[in-house]
Amino acid sequence: MTEINETYKEKISFNKRLIFLYVTFGILGVVFYYQIFNLQISNYSEYEIAAENNKNEEISVQPLRGIIFDRNGEILVNNIPTFDLITKPFFIDDPDDFLLKLSSFLEIDEEDKKVFLSQFKKAKTLNKELTLKQSISDEDKAKFLVRSHMFENAYVGERYLRNYLYPEIFSHSIGYVGRPNDDELDEIYEKRSLNKKINFTYTNQLIIGKTGLEFTYEDILTGEFGNNLREVDARGRTLDEKISSEPKVGNNLYTSLDLKSHQAAHKAFNNRKGAVVAIDIKDGSIVTLFSSPTFPTNQLANGILQKDFDELLLSEEKPFFNRALKGRYPPASSIKPAIAMYGIEEGLIDWDFSIFDEGFFTLPEDGRIYRDWKEGGHGDTNLFKAITQSSNTYFFDLAYRSDINQLNKHLSSLGFGGKACIDCFEEDKVFVPEPSWKMNKHNFGWFKGDTVNMGVGQGYLVSTPIQLAKYAYIMANKGKFSDLSLKKDLVKSEKSIEFNKFSNDDWFKLHESMVNVIEGNTGTARRLRERKNYIVAAKTGTAELVSGDNREQYSETRLDDSLRDHALIIAFGPMPNPRYAVSVVVENGESGGSVAGPVAISVLNSLIQE
Amino acid sequence: MRYLDFKKFSIYYDPYLIISITLLSIIGLFFLYSASDGNAAVLIKQSIFVFFGLILMIVLSQPDPQIYYSYSGFFLLISIILVFVAIFFGPEINGANRWISFGFVTLQPSELCKIFLPIFIASYLYGVKLPINLKNTFLTIFLILVVFLIVSSQPDLGTAIVILLSGLYVLFLAGLSWTFIGSALAIFVISLPFLWNNFLEPFQRQRIATLFNPDLDPFGSAWNITQSKIAIGSGGIFGKGFGEGTQSHLNFLPETETDFIFAVIAEEFGLIGLTILIGLYFFIFIRCFYLSINARDRFCRLVIGGLSLVFISTLFINIGMVIGLLPVVGMPLPLISQGGSSLISFYIAFGIIISMASHKKLVPR
Repeated sequence: MTEINETYKEKISFNKRLIFLYVTFGILGVVFYYQIFNLQISNYSEYEIAAENNKNEEISVQPLRGIIFDRNGEILVNNIPTFDLITKPFFIDDPDDFLLKLSSFLEIDEEDKKVFLSQFKKAKTLNKELTLKQSISDEDKAKFLVRSHMFENAYVGERYLRNYLYPEIFSHSIGYVGRPNDDELDEIYEKRSLNKKINFTYTNQLIIGKTGLEFTYEDILTGEFGNNLREVDARGRTLDEKISSEPKVGNNLYTSLDLKSHQAAHKAFNNRKGAVVAIDIKDGSIVTLFSSPTFPTNQLANGILQKDFDELLLSEEKPFFNRALKGRYPPASSIKPAIAMYGIEEGLIDWDFSIFDEGFFTLPEDGRIYRDWKEGGHGDTNLFKAITQSSNTYFFDLAYRSDINQLNKHLSSLGFGGKACIDCFEEDKVFVPEPSWKMNKHNFGWFKGDTVNMGVGQGYLVSTPIQLAKYAYIMANKGKFSDLSLKKDLVKSEKSIEFNKFSNDDWFKLHESMVNVIEGNTGTARRLRERKNYIVAAKTGTAELVSGDNREQYSETRLDDSLRDHALIIAFGPMPNPRYAVSVVVENGESGGSVAGPVAISVLNSLIQE
Repeated sequence: MRYLDFKKFSIYYDPYLIISITLLSIIGLFFLYSASDGNAAVLIKQSIFVFFGLILMIVLSQPDPQIYYSYSGFFLLISIILVFVAIFFGPEINGANRWISFGFVTLQPSELCKIFLPIFIASYLYGVKLPINLKNTFLTIFLILVVFLIVSSQPDLGTAIVILLSGLYVLFLAGLSWTFIGSALAIFVISLPFLWNNFLEPFQRQRIATLFNPDLDPFGSAWNITQSKIAIGSGGIFGKGFGEGTQSHLNFLPETETDFIFAVIAEEFGLIGLTILIGLYFFIFIRCFYLSINARDRFCRLVIGGLSLVFISTLFINIGMVIGLLPVVGMPLPLISQGGSSLISFYIAFGIIISMASHKKLVPR
């Protein structure tokens, strides 16, 4: 009996408690149902709009990049149409199967397949298009089009390629475009306020200037992205795409670069290492900015095999290195006119002052010998002769009597150790060797001998070809100059160097002496005379990389190509009213007059004899 | 309740439960087909689970409840061992060790614990006198906590919570003293700040915080809930139609085949579709309520009550999460979400419920 009672009690308790729980859930159920009712009925319109907004997406439309012209209106860079095979991963269930189906009639590179498969999932989630094969041939295009009914998830679309018409000639000055890296990508999205999805106009999708003018004038060239409003249905198919704003084609870039002079430079260099820079004296604009050897910009912009890229990157010739802006060369004898200007300005010499050059200069402090390039020397030597025949002894003596700080100030005013160009890509401004720099760098004080070496452009003094060109330009224009630039018709203020003593007459004589370097019978570059039919002023230089104490040792070092001297020349013409100034460096070219000279003359010829 | 008499054996079944569960399963397949973007492979796999699950349910209805009573400890032990096997030998997926792989199928053994823990507790408390004394109370709670901690270490908070609830339901139904419940609740409320700071992962706190303030982080942890609400809300009365849900198919909704399938149904079938679906669930609850009230003894009562409440809780946690009233935790929509383990575990539960309900004790007249 007790057990039955117990069972009964237990059953009542159980029932009560079960009812309690069910009622609790019942109340909860009412709350939930009320929430669902709220969402679906009371706030229906609000959520309906939100869902509509979700499926209408803003899409950015990529603009075409501006065209780049040379100073005569010749097209240097443009965009050419090409056809790409573009896929819609959202509608592809099995990417492997899809590739297999395509491969049955189209040849698709393994590399392309790999890229496609690696990006497939992300593109599918975001309903983004994915390019499978770039620049397909007309035959492949036809093969695909006859089967296009089988492929709702792919199409052949017109896209553009950035096309460099002279890919081997303007590699360094114009540079090239490429795909942005992740950091650059974030920046672009932010700066141009792009949407997640973009309709690409270029086969390489987003492209930005990586180097050269393409980089410097990125903002001008890019143009403005447009906007489309795309409506999709539940299966991700585009129902409608409305243009809300058209993309704006990038502005064209008119440069001061001259096509013919670059072709001349390219031909004259014939892949030797070096650089040439030529400047239009009228306004300081750069007409030639050429570094050799070059590299193929089209391949870099539109796809290069890793193997080929590595080959370029690791090449001994360092083709990517822009020697015109970054190559550091001792100016050697080409510095002599600058030292002469300093001597006259400071009253240390005049055109009548002469020394007896016996082939070497002896430093009074320790008797150290500084040799001239000519054994036995030049004999009685005044400034005019010292420049035309490039006497070292004369300038050793002058430099010896100079104050290093004053001399540095003078060299800086001529553009050494400073940025020459306002719109060049990654220019190296180098430096003028101050005594304090030597203390920091070499932990040695400044010796008088260091100044003596600077008198002939050796020792610690280094400069870039563009600095040498600017220096030639300043001299040609008698101290007046503007900053150098690559964009045509850039408004720049004219500057001039202040002189107290150095007069117009001195300018005339300096030009005269430099004219004689080529036109005089004893000039160091007299062999250039026949290569042109106008008058050119110049100064040659031979930068020693290894200084030998005696002739035998010097001949030995010449056997190794890379230790041979660099050949330099600065020149301007036609005289007496020069229009162009030019500097040339040929690495390991040995003799300035006979190796760098012809390059300078070909470039000047192409500029002057048009 | 009933059985068919054949010459040599009888088949035990409950027509109401079998019909409603089969109906729900078939509707579920239909929903899943849309939620998976018409993926035939998903549908076929799920259909196989449904087919064999229904057979398993009927098979498990046949043994006498006495067998479940006798072997409840053994079943629980096996389940726990399998959980350990998953932890130590199972494949790691998304940083969790919840699964055992059988090559063609992976199963989640923790799902079994939520069935066999309440059955074991029911068999343990079967003969205990009312009100349950402190010793039995603590022993039971200790066992519940052990299983809870094992499963939550996989980690799998969703299933662990259901396991915790399953044990507590049986303990409560069996007659846990009200004094104990009161004091336990008081202690729980007081220690809530301590639990919040020490036992919740930062992402779990974040999920709870966004529940009360979705604007806090609209593109982070609140994204799923925001998109889910848009999906449900934009369904309206009649829904957008089968396969026409833009939220579901354009990848705004996360986990459309599993945790958020309710939002897909809401978007495509609207309030009318949801009402029919909820009605089916409601029918199953009411039937279970009736069956447990009329069960033959205390053990069967507790098991039917406990298991049906596990089913109800899973449903409520899932829907509460999807409609933005509960924090996001991994929980399937019972009998509909993709995933064999959850599906099979509920077929097992209903098989046992039917067994308990349809076998009558032979009472000497």
